[in-house]
Amino acid sequence: MQRAIWVLWPGFIVATGAEAFLFTLIDPMSLHIFGQPHEYSRLAVYTVAFFLLWLFASTSSALTCFFQRTADEINRCPLKPAQRPVGCPKREEDTCC
Amino acid sequence: MSRRLEEIPVVQAGAIDEVEQSLYEVRKKIYPRAVHGWFAAWRWTLVWFTQLVFYGLCWLEWNGRQAVLFDLAARKFYIFGYVFWPQDFIYLTALLIICAYSLFLFTAIGGRLWCGYACPQTVYTEIFMWIERKIEGDRQRRMRLDAEPMSPRKFAIKAAKHGAWIAVALWTGFTFVGYFTPIRELGADILNFDIGPWATFWLLFYSFATYGNAGFMREQVCKYMCPYARFQGVMFDRDTMVVTYDAGRGEPRGARGRKVDHKAQGLGDCIDCTMCVQVCPTGIDIRNGLQYECIGCAACIDACNQVMDKMGYPRGLIRYTTENGLANGWSFSQMLKRVFRPRVLAYSVILLGIISVTAYSLYTRVPLKVDVIRDRASLMREVEDGLLENVYRVQIMNTQEMPHTYRITATGLESLHVASDDVIQVPAATTRQVPLRLRIEGGMADRGAHKILIQVQAVDDPSIAAVEDSVFIVQ
Repeated sequence: MQRAIWVLWPGFIVATGAEAFLFTLIDPMSLHIFGQPHEYSRLAVYTVAFFLLWLFASTSSALTCFFQRTADEINRCPLKPAQRPVGCPKREEDTCC
Repeated sequence: MSRRLEEIPVVQAGAIDEVEQSLYEVRKKIYPRAVHGWFAAWRWTLVWFTQLVFYGLCWLEWNGRQAVLFDLAARKFYIFGYVFWPQDFIYLTALLIICAYSLFLFTAIGGRLWCGYACPQTVYTEIFMWIERKIEGDRQRRMRLDAEPMSPRKFAIKAAKHGAWIAVALWTGFTFVGYFTPIRELGADILNFDIGPWATFWLLFYSFATYGNAGFMREQVCKYMCPYARFQGVMFDRDTMVVTYDAGRGEPRGARGRKVDHKAQGLGDCIDCTMCVQVCPTGIDIRNGLQYECIGCAACIDACNQVMDKMGYPRGLIRYTTENGLANGWSFSQMLKRVFRPRVLAYSVILLGIISVTAYSLYTRVPLKVDVIRDRASLMREVEDGLLENVYRVQIMNTQEMPHTYRITATGLESLHVASDDVIQVPAATTRQVPLRLRIEGGMADRGAHKILIQVQAVDDPSIAAVEDSVFIVQ
């Protein structure tokens, strides 16, 4: 749950700012999609763009979380699961040395 | 640095505590006790004020339209007499800077005043907790109800609470969307079941956010999601007013009878009743000192003062004070003098400067914007009577809510004049693009590009004028 907040929430904040900045500068009506003028309403473009921005920003947060893992979290643990210290997330795993 | 594997002490499985522990602390549900007092009254005053503004402002009319409307579909922001266009982005930037500096200033002086009294998270949590208290009862009854197994009675109480919450949340979502699309039309559309898909989506989205944040997330938003909570500490100094427990007076804490002379027993003023903990919306113990979870709501001050009154002790065991004030035993007026310190003065000067510049710029703003683009197709052509002609496109943006008639003039070259229609009518708050043909007599200018000025001026109000420069090309 907390990891979900870490990924989605910063993405939401960044997407809100990016959306405001982007569409202050650009009128959705002047956008071309695959070289063709589109026929969607401004509200539709705002909404879809917001979720795309949220997706991109959250992907960045998710990658940060992913790369933040230490070597110990990635490497195989030399201890048997039951010997691992209390609180270690790998205590539950079956994988062993 | 790295130790060999054999050296790492291996704890026998049987020796360690077998209690399962999750990686993250499990959130204990907080049941804040209702609190009355001076600060609670202030908080409710601000709840009323902010919500009257929020729920009411969108219904106000001005010039036959909604007074405050951020019309995203038309890309125009209406704020009373002003209409802002995307070109006025600078004002949005100025507004954000003003908000940021106000926050810095208030935080430096009085800590998290914003969080405790005006933040929507606090305000909606307060409203939702009030509903909860009215339906489920106060702290003890709520805890007992949650511990009970599900029964028709419990189901009815819970359904009533969630029903009331959802009603408030939906109205909040409707109001929110009503700032971005005209609220009266939106209301009519909803009544006729004719609301557009995007408006529906955002209405439900905001309602859901209100319901979730104020009903369930509550203090977790402040603790885990709010960036301000994390960096507020850098704006604090030793002279910032914060909610503080006077440990020197309160410790050693302990229970005692009301008639007992506690000083003779070696006890401080804190009777360890834990009322300050029970009323805390973020569930902390203020007696452990300043903590980042503290939103400065001062509920603990109100609660503790009531206890002090009952015990016949002086109030203010928990109070607003500064670090310096507590250490030096200053009076309130002595601490107030320290408000005028360099940090606060610097924030104030910057804030006042930005507000003045923005206000001046708004006051002197001309409700007209002009853009001139040279026709790229032809540089110059010769027309009848040996005149030389250049063609432009002029975009005239009337940002006022009344129609205007403008006259276009051009200067900068001998005999330069407008050959096309030079009187242009532009309806209220509209942009019009018109072709502009400028001519000079042959032989009046050398070959090359000549700088010229194109002026657009309202016929009915000469103070509304704009000048753009461009070039006239002679080949």
